[in-house]
Amino acid sequence: MAAKAATKSARKAAPTASTIPGITFVQELEGIKEYTLTSNGLRILLVPDDSVPVAGVMITYHVGSRNEAIGYTGATHLLEHLMFKGSEKFNRENGNLMEITIESLGGMLNATTWFDRTNYYSIVPASSVHLPIEIEADRMRTARITEKDRASEMPIVRNEYERGENNPMEALDKEMWSAAFLAHPYHHSTIGWKSDIEGVSIERLNQFYNDFYWPNNATLTVTGKFDELAILKLVKKEFGQHTKSPKPFPAMYTEEPPQQGQRRVIVKRSGTNMIAIAHKIPNAHHADIPALLVLTNVLAGGDTSRLYRAFVDSAKATDASTYCYELHDPSLFLSYITLTPKTTHAEGEKILLREYAAIKEKGITAAELARAKRAVRRFIASRRDGAYAFLSSLNEDLATGDWTRFAKQPEQIMNVTAADVKRVANTYFNEDQSVFGQFIATNS
Amino acid sequence: MEPIASNVTELELADGVRIFIAPTKAKDVVTLQGSVLGGMLMLPRGKEITQALAVELLDAGTVEKTKDQIREALAARGIGLSFSSGTDRTFFSGSCLPEDFSFLLKTIVECLTGATFPTKEIALAKERMRGELEEGKTDTNFRATIALSRMMYDPSHINYADTIEERIKFLNSITRAELLAFRKMLGREGLVISVAGDITPASAERSIRSAIEKLPKGTTETPVRKLNQKRPEAKELLVPITDKANIDTYLGVALPINYDHPLYLAFTIFNSMLGARGLSSGHLMSTIRERDGLTYGIYVRAGGFGALSEGFFRIWATFSPATFKVAVEKTRKEISIFLKTKLTEQGLLARQDQFAGSYVVGLSTTNGLASTLHSIGIEGKPLSYIDAYPDLIRAVTLDDLKAVAKLIPFDKLSLAASGSFDTKAK
Repeated sequence: MAAKAATKSARKAAPTASTIPGITFVQELEGIKEYTLTSNGLRILLVPDDSVPVAGVMITYHVGSRNEAIGYTGATHLLEHLMFKGSEKFNRENGNLMEITIESLGGMLNATTWFDRTNYYSIVPASSVHLPIEIEADRMRTARITEKDRASEMPIVRNEYERGENNPMEALDKEMWSAAFLAHPYHHSTIGWKSDIEGVSIERLNQFYNDFYWPNNATLTVTGKFDELAILKLVKKEFGQHTKSPKPFPAMYTEEPPQQGQRRVIVKRSGTNMIAIAHKIPNAHHADIPALLVLTNVLAGGDTSRLYRAFVDSAKATDASTYCYELHDPSLFLSYITLTPKTTHAEGEKILLREYAAIKEKGITAAELARAKRAVRRFIASRRDGAYAFLSSLNEDLATGDWTRFAKQPEQIMNVTAADVKRVANTYFNEDQSVFGQFIATNS
Repeated sequence: MEPIASNVTELELADGVRIFIAPTKAKDVVTLQGSVLGGMLMLPRGKEITQALAVELLDAGTVEKTKDQIREALAARGIGLSFSSGTDRTFFSGSCLPEDFSFLLKTIVECLTGATFPTKEIALAKERMRGELEEGKTDTNFRATIALSRMMYDPSHINYADTIEERIKFLNSITRAELLAFRKMLGREGLVISVAGDITPASAERSIRSAIEKLPKGTTETPVRKLNQKRPEAKELLVPITDKANIDTYLGVALPINYDHPLYLAFTIFNSMLGARGLSSGHLMSTIRERDGLTYGIYVRAGGFGALSEGFFRIWATFSPATFKVAVEKTRKEISIFLKTKLTEQGLLARQDQFAGSYVVGLSTTNGLASTLHSIGIEGKPLSYIDAYPDLIRAVTLDDLKAVAKLIPFDKLSLAASGSFDTKAK
């Protein structure tokens, strides 16, 4: 019944709290309508878009590797894998395991884990939008997290870890974060340490599930072609079966102690020579983040950017990239340079520091600012080009704890001035708050 | 599935030019895919890398503009533009805001017709490419793919991969005159452009006609089709690299078919049944990964098919050094089990349903739609193929799948792998 209701083509007016008892309308921004399932606190975001006959469903849990500690690093990610092993309604015995159900439709089903969140998403033909909603509701509280599955899944996750270790940039990236954060859990990568992947117990994973997988720690997003009223009724029916968490979520109270001086890391192994520099930046909600995003574009946004010109255009490097990590807690502004064989680490470091210093001293040009803002307009359009692009973009804003950033941040970036960029460069490009890294290829 | 072709405007112009314009409800985004004749097949043996160097430099200065002028003008508009190489074609793709579509097209044509390949830029591009090739020496996936292709093809075939050292030697030998000669091949001949997104057919057609009238005719050379002279033979090559935690592993064999073969669609269904990426939908993923826990991923990655080139069947997996040998053995065993027990009517029907659904999902982005239209264009299929595809998939029979199984000499699969091998492992 739910399936038919959810796929009716007739469009109805956007529901409000009065039309569906138990669902509260909260706000609408940029075509994203927020509701709350009153009984258990599940946040619901509906984003109707009938431009294509496809729908996307995503549930985002506000738990990530930030919520782990030594001994069970990587647990969030391993648990994510185990969430595909079956639930009360969707399981192998019934012949309708989650992936079988979605993949048999030609749909896409997957999940990702990151510092601050874990998300499960499906992209399906619009007529089947009800199925991922039923799956996510069921596995939210009835997932089968068993020792048998942990034992068989662990080597798979370990091989995922091993794949990453083959990549010089990923290996260096892990060391950069570890050096930058001594106490805060951003210290370890989301995949975790190998021995923790191998050793974490099923009891610990079940505790993790029972601590965090509750409706009041989750956001359900539905985008694409669907009937809004029918979807809200379905969400109420399926997720309304769950209570809110019986106890408060475990608090992550560890704060990073002040950094007092530059830290340096070296990774020596077979691979490619690289250098990297990281600086501490505030969390995603800080007013300086928009200017730091503009700075990211100026430094490494395409083949007119400063690092591209300084390194790649001059054949000193094969690649240059910069990332401003917008996270729940204070994080990092990172640049990576993959050096060509004739460029020494010392030479690369000198060029990189010169480019950072130039921005601190002279700021950026009007043309650079304009290019960055144009890139924002392109980004806004591209994140609406398909259900997956939309969900993956919104997911990162959800992870910070405030999804409305999705709607508000473009304007904030458009208001950034060249003076703002120079100011944030001087505020955060502080040697004492930095980590400098080298990947030294032992084969060269 | 709602008809798509009726919403696409196709223009067939002289010199085999095909243009597809697909307005969609996407806002503020236009995606373009295109290509012209001119590729590695038209270049002498040892000079194929000319194309890779040329596409790297097409926007590095033209008769009218400097590299900086071109790149800054694109960046100021937020336009993404890239060129890439292929067997008999040179490809370009771009995305932009609707008001910049004409500018994107003009820039593409300017690069194709007027790239000057400044000497300084050639030297720098060679240095970068040598750097990337040096990086490739410790890239386990790259090394394994090279090793496999050399076991599958004879050295005169387009799918035969030169060693990294050979590529560096060939790269060093390329001259500016050779780059200019290659660029002169690129013109209207065989041009295919597909555009999808926030655009109207009339305005897009005006922009395209205006831009491409400046294109010269381009090459009319029809490359000679060179059949693979190497007979399938089960070989094994392990490429050791120190300090690697993971082994990239390929099992593969060259096939005597190209994409015009009557069994090609059946071949794609067969590959999906054996090696789709999904956790449940590919036999190897559901056994080697989900049941045995021996890999994070194991997929069929067929490729190398063109109008003039026979492609290959290939399985790619990543294995731990400790379980590499047993994982390879189990993979071979599961292939046998698949051939004996999984080619069934029920399995085929399920896969056909899946293809129908994934086709709809795949066409739901501007890039997915533009890419599909572009493939239709270069493969010489009618526009109606875009709507006929699900029916053609439905028309594949179990006998077709069995014929595909006979087409692939599974007893001749070669093994190529690269990583740090554990000599004491099982």
